[in-house]
Amino acid sequence: MNDLVDVPAATTGQPLVGESVQPDTTSVPIKPVLRVNGLKKAYRKHTLSVPVLHGVNLNVDPGEFVSIVGQSGSGKSTLLHLIGLLDANDSGSIEFEGRRIDNLPTSQRDKIRNEAFGFVFQFYHLLPELTALENVLLPLMIGKGPFGWLVSRGRAVTRAKELLERVGLGHRIDHKPRELSGGEMQRTALARALITKPRLLLADEPTGNLDDESGADVIRLLRTLNREEGLTILMVTHNLEITKDTDRLVRLSKGLVVDEELHPAA
Amino acid sequence: MYKVLLCLRYLQTRWLAMICIVSVMLGVATLIVVNSVMNGFSTKLRDRLHGLLSDIVIEAYDYDGFLDPKAKMARIMADPYLAKNIESMAPTLEIFAMLQYAYHDVPFTRSIRLIGIDPKSRAEVGGFSEFLTQPDRKAKPSFDLSPDAKARQAKNHVMDRKPTYFQELPTDPAAPPPPEPPPSKPHEPHGLIIGHAIAHFRDRTAGSEGQVKDIRALEPGDDVIITTVSGQKLSPVVDRFAVADYFRSEMSEYDSMYVFVPIDHLQKLRTMEDRVTSILVRLKNFDEAPGVVARLKTVLKNEPVEVQTWEQKQGALLAAIRVEKGILNILLFMIIGVAGFGILAIFTMIVAEKTRDIGILKALGASRFGVMQIFLGYGLLLGLVGCLLGTAMGLAITHNINEIESFIGGLTGQELFPRDIYYFDKIPTDVHPMGVLFVNIGAVLIAVAFSLLPAFRAASLNPVRALRYE
Repeated sequence: MNDLVDVPAATTGQPLVGESVQPDTTSVPIKPVLRVNGLKKAYRKHTLSVPVLHGVNLNVDPGEFVSIVGQSGSGKSTLLHLIGLLDANDSGSIEFEGRRIDNLPTSQRDKIRNEAFGFVFQFYHLLPELTALENVLLPLMIGKGPFGWLVSRGRAVTRAKELLERVGLGHRIDHKPRELSGGEMQRTALARALITKPRLLLADEPTGNLDDESGADVIRLLRTLNREEGLTILMVTHNLEITKDTDRLVRLSKGLVVDEELHPAA
Repeated sequence: MYKVLLCLRYLQTRWLAMICIVSVMLGVATLIVVNSVMNGFSTKLRDRLHGLLSDIVIEAYDYDGFLDPKAKMARIMADPYLAKNIESMAPTLEIFAMLQYAYHDVPFTRSIRLIGIDPKSRAEVGGFSEFLTQPDRKAKPSFDLSPDAKARQAKNHVMDRKPTYFQELPTDPAAPPPPEPPPSKPHEPHGLIIGHAIAHFRDRTAGSEGQVKDIRALEPGDDVIITTVSGQKLSPVVDRFAVADYFRSEMSEYDSMYVFVPIDHLQKLRTMEDRVTSILVRLKNFDEAPGVVARLKTVLKNEPVEVQTWEQKQGALLAAIRVEKGILNILLFMIIGVAGFGILAIFTMIVAEKTRDIGILKALGASRFGVMQIFLGYGLLLGLVGCLLGTAMGLAITHNINEIESFIGGLTGQELFPRDIYYFDKIPTDVHPMGVLFVNIGAVLIAVAFSLLPAFRAASLNPVRALRYE
C-alpha cells in the first residue's frame, strides 16, 4: 500500500508540489495517473436491475483537469463514486498510478481514499459539530492513530490554517458550518480535500449549490491549484460554462463516454 | 482521535443523549439506594440477631432441657482447643408462658417467651446488658429492684403490710398476753426484665408529624403474673414478679416476646432443678465458629443437644433476606435494561440523523471499525456519564434518606418507614463500595451492549447511500 501512496514522482509522472506541468513534447508517452477500463455498474432492487454504466473507458493524465458532463442519470456521479472507491463496480477495472485499486481489500481502499484522494461534494458535506479548522483536520485525524495524531498535531494545525488562509477563510477557522455561507462551506471542503496532499481530487458538482460568483471563486481556486501545484482534478458537473476552464471535457450519456473535447487554451 | 472528538461533540450537542444519560442515572441511583438500604437492614438485622443469639448455641432438643449445665461447661472448658477459643458461656432456660398485668385495673394478657438467665454470665456472652434501659443496670446487670421501683411496689401493696395502728389499740393489762403471731413477711416478688414492647403501648395519634409515642403500661415496680408449665408433668405454675427494667433491642420480635427472670427461680418454679434448655457460647473470634462447632459436637457427642452457630439457627431468615435482595436486584437491573432499550431507540435515531456524517467519514477514509467505535464510544460515554451522575445521586439520596423520608412523609401525610416494625430510629443504610462498583460496571456494559446494534448498523452503511441521504 505504502509503495502505492508514497511512490516517487519520477516513476509515476506525478509532478512535485509547486512544479508546474509543461506539455510533454518528447516521444515518451505520459503514463496516465488514472485508467478506467470497461467500467460497468448496475443498481439492483430485488429482481430489478437498473444499469447505470455500460463500460466506461477513461484515462486521466497527471496534472490534468478533466471535467465530466452529462445529463441527469447519465452515470457521471456513479462513475466518480466508483473511481473514488465509495462504491463497488460490477465489472471492468480502475487503475491508479499503475495499480489496480477496485479489487483491493476494504482497509486498503479506506487508506487510498484517506491519503491519495481528495473529495469535494455538491452539498459540501462538512460535519456540523466541528469547526472549520476541525473539519479541515478531519482526514488527518482519520489517517493517524491517537499517538501519531498527538505527535503531528502541531504541524497539521499549521497546515490547515495555511490552507484555510489560502481559500480566503483565515478569519473563520473557529466557525461552525452553520455560521458559514455556501461558498465558504465549499471552500472549507476544498481545504479539507487538500489537507492530505492528495494525488487526485474528485469533485462532484462543486458549484452545483452555489451562486455564480461563489461558483466562479471555487473554479478559479481549482484551476490555480491545478496549474500551480499540478493537482490532477476530475470534476463532474452539468454546468458547461465552468468546463471551459478545464483541460478536457468528457461527455457521458446513458452510461457511456460519447465524446471528448480538448481545451488546449484553457 | 476523530472518534474521541466526535463522541464528545455528539455528547455536547445531542439533547436526545441526555435522555439516555438520565435513564442510566436513575437506574444506577435506584440500584444504589435500594441496595444500600437493604444492606443497612440486613447488616443491622444480622448484628442484632448475632448479638442476641451469641456466636454458638448448644440447645436441648425439647423444653425439658438437659441436666447439669455446669458439668457440661466444665467438660467443654477441659478441651484445650475449646478453652482457647471460647470467651464465655451462659446457661439459659427458655419456655413459653402467659403474662398478665393490670393497666388502669383492666387486665392484659400476653403470650411471652420466658427466659431464665444468670444476669452476670448472660451479660458476658453479650447482647443483653446493652439493651437494658437503666444506666446502672447496663453496667451491672441484675434483677434487683431500684429504690424507686421498691417504693412503687410497696405502695402498690400497702394492704399486704401489717397496719401500724393495730399496735396503738389499748390492751387489757390483766388479760394474758396474746400468743405471738406467726412470723410473717410480705411476699417480695422477684424482679424481671420485660421486653419494651410488652410494657408499652404505641400511640400513633399522640405525636406530631407522624411520630409515634410510647405509653408506658408497666412502671418499674409494677406487678406481673406469669403462668407457665412445670417440668415434665406440664401442670400450670404461677408466680408474681415485679418489673425491674426493660429490654429494648429494637428488634420487634424480641422486644415484644422476651421476658427475663432469674434462672434459679425459674428452675424452682418449673420443678426442674439444675436443668437448662441451652448454653450460649461466645467466641473470642467468630471466624473459628465452624471448628468450634465441630469440636463441641465431638465433646457433647452422646448428649441430647444440638450445636449450631447463630447463622445456622437463623438460616431461614438470613436466606430469605438474601433471596429477597437477589430478586430485587434482578428486578432493578431490568430497570437499567429498560434504560438500555431507550439507548437502543435513541441511538437508532441518532444513527439515522447522522447517516450523512457517517458517509462523509467513510468517504474521507474512516474504516467500518472506526465508525463503529464512534458509536460504541458514544454508548460507553453515555453509560459512564450516567453512572457517574447516578452514583452521585444514589449516594446523596442514601446519605440523606431519613430527611427525604420525613419530607415526603410530611408532604403526603403517610409514614413511609413505620418505625415500630423494627424499632429502628432511622432507616439504616450501608453502602458497599464493591456493590456500587458492580452496579456501575453492569450499567456501563448494558449501555455499550445496547449501542452495539446501532453502531454495527452505522458501520455497515454504504457511503454513497449515506452521502445521498437527506
